This record gives sequence, structure tokens and C-alpha cells, in this order.
Amino acid sequence: MLPTSCPSCQAQLKVMALKCESCQTEVTGLYELPVLLRLSEDELLFILRFVKNSGSIKDMSAELKLSYPTVRNMLNEIIQKIHNYEKKN
Amino acid sequence: MKKRTNNWSLIWNPFTRIAGWQAFGVGIVIVIISAVLASYGNLVFDGAVDAHFGSNVGVAKSLIITGISLFSVVLAMYVVGIIISKNFRFVDILGTMTLARAPYLLLAVLAPFATFPDVEQMLQNPMIVLEYPSIIIFGLISLPVLIWFIALMYNGLKISTGAKGMKLTVGFIIGVVVAEITSKLFIHLIL
Repeated sequence: MLPTSCPSCQAQLKVMALKCESCQTEVTGLYELPVLLRLSEDELLFILRFVKNSGSIKDMSAELKLSYPTVRNMLNEIIQKIHNYEKKN
Repeated sequence: MKKRTNNWSLIWNPFTRIAGWQAFGVGIVIVIISAVLASYGNLVFDGAVDAHFGSNVGVAKSLIITGISLFSVVLAMYVVGIIISKNFRFVDILGTMTLARAPYLLLAVLAPFATFPDVEQMLQNPMIVLEYPSIIIFGLISLPVLIWFIALMYNGLKISTGAKGMKLTVGFIIGVVVAEITSKLFIHLIL
């Protein structure tokens, strides 16, 4: 799993280098992480499941064995988090 | 993100697992059984969170009063939900508020066993209550049941609307007060 926050001060990490495994070329800079990658592992897993269930909260609640409003609230929390990330940018 | 629920947390908040029509289905069966059993002990659930002993209650009257009380709570919490939440379903409020009344089944079961002194006797000597241990036991059980019921209502509103913090707490208190007033009013007007 890609680390997204600093293990020392918990601040948001940025991407400094990307490497091509084929020709060994390295691209360095200071790149912002995409919004989705800033979410936690659990949140990303939730989004993955949500997409796999065609965005159906009903199907998600059946899969997770949680009630419909509980799943909707989990989704709302992620949406709120994404809005907050977007506001910061 | 993962919702870890154990049996203890499910007792206080079963709505992470069950809500909507499913909760309403289970809840309404318990509510009807409670109302019927309570009538045999002359106990009526006459308000948002009330349970009082009366005289000659009867099954029909008990069912009507319980229905009015439940309707008042659902209506009040639905209005609170509209104010404090952007997107929620009416059926979740209906289901959670109905199932939240499940603890009253305990009081309904115990009610026929509670015996009271006459009102005149109690007025003359209030300490006579001590000679009726069933009332004391009923009173002692009523308190945790009431706390359980209120906690379930609170968690029901929390899960149904997704609201948090001060907004949820204030909304819940106002909802209970409004439901209490409207239920008393409806009971007075209808019966």
C-alpha cells in the first residue's frame, strides 16, 4: 500500500520520483497525490467495492451485512473527505 | 471505515445491521405484542417515552394509544431529520423508531405482575408502597429499560440521518419533546 502521510509528522506526502522499470529512466519533481490515493486503505477498499456493486448501496449493505443507512453514512464520510481535499487544493 | 460490531454494541445500536422496512417489520410485531401484554397489566405507553398504569385499559385502547405514541415519535423525528440532514429515507426513521420501542416489551411482560395499593391508601400513607415489592422491582427495572429505549431512539436518529455532534443531540431532544407534546394532544383528541 502506498504511504500517503509522513510517518514522522503525519503531514501529506508528495510524490518525488517515478521510475520506468523498462529503461530505468527516473522522473523527479514534487507531485501532488491524486485525491483518491489520499484516502485510507479501508476507504479505498470501500470505493472499490462500491464500484464493483455498480454504485448500489443496497447491494453493498447486503455484501457488508450492514444496514442501508450505515453504508450510506460511510459513503457520505468519504464524499466529505474528498470535498475537503479538493478545497485544500 | 470498517464497522466492527460486537453483541454489546448491537444491544445499544442494532441499526448498523438492521434498518428500514426490515427494522419496521420486526419492530411492529414487538410493539403490537407489547401493547397487548401491557393491557393485561393496565399499563399504557401513552407518550413518546411514557409508560403509565391506568384502569380498565383494554387491548384496543392500548393498541390505539401505542399507535398514536409511535406515530408522534416517527413524525417528530422525520421533521427533525429534514432539518438536520440532507439525504435520508423516511423508511429508516420509521423502522428505527419502531424497533427502538422493543425494550418496552420487558415492561409489558412484567406489568401484569405488578400490584398496587389503593390511591386513598397511598395518599394516607405513602410508605405503604414499601409493602408492595412488585412495584419497587418494576420501578427498578423501568429505569434501565427507559435508558435503553432512549439510547436506541438516539442511535436510530443518528444512523437514519447520518447527523453528528451538537446538531444531532439538540435535534433529538427537541424531537422527543415535540413527540411527547403531540402524542398527548393526539391521545386527548382521539380518545
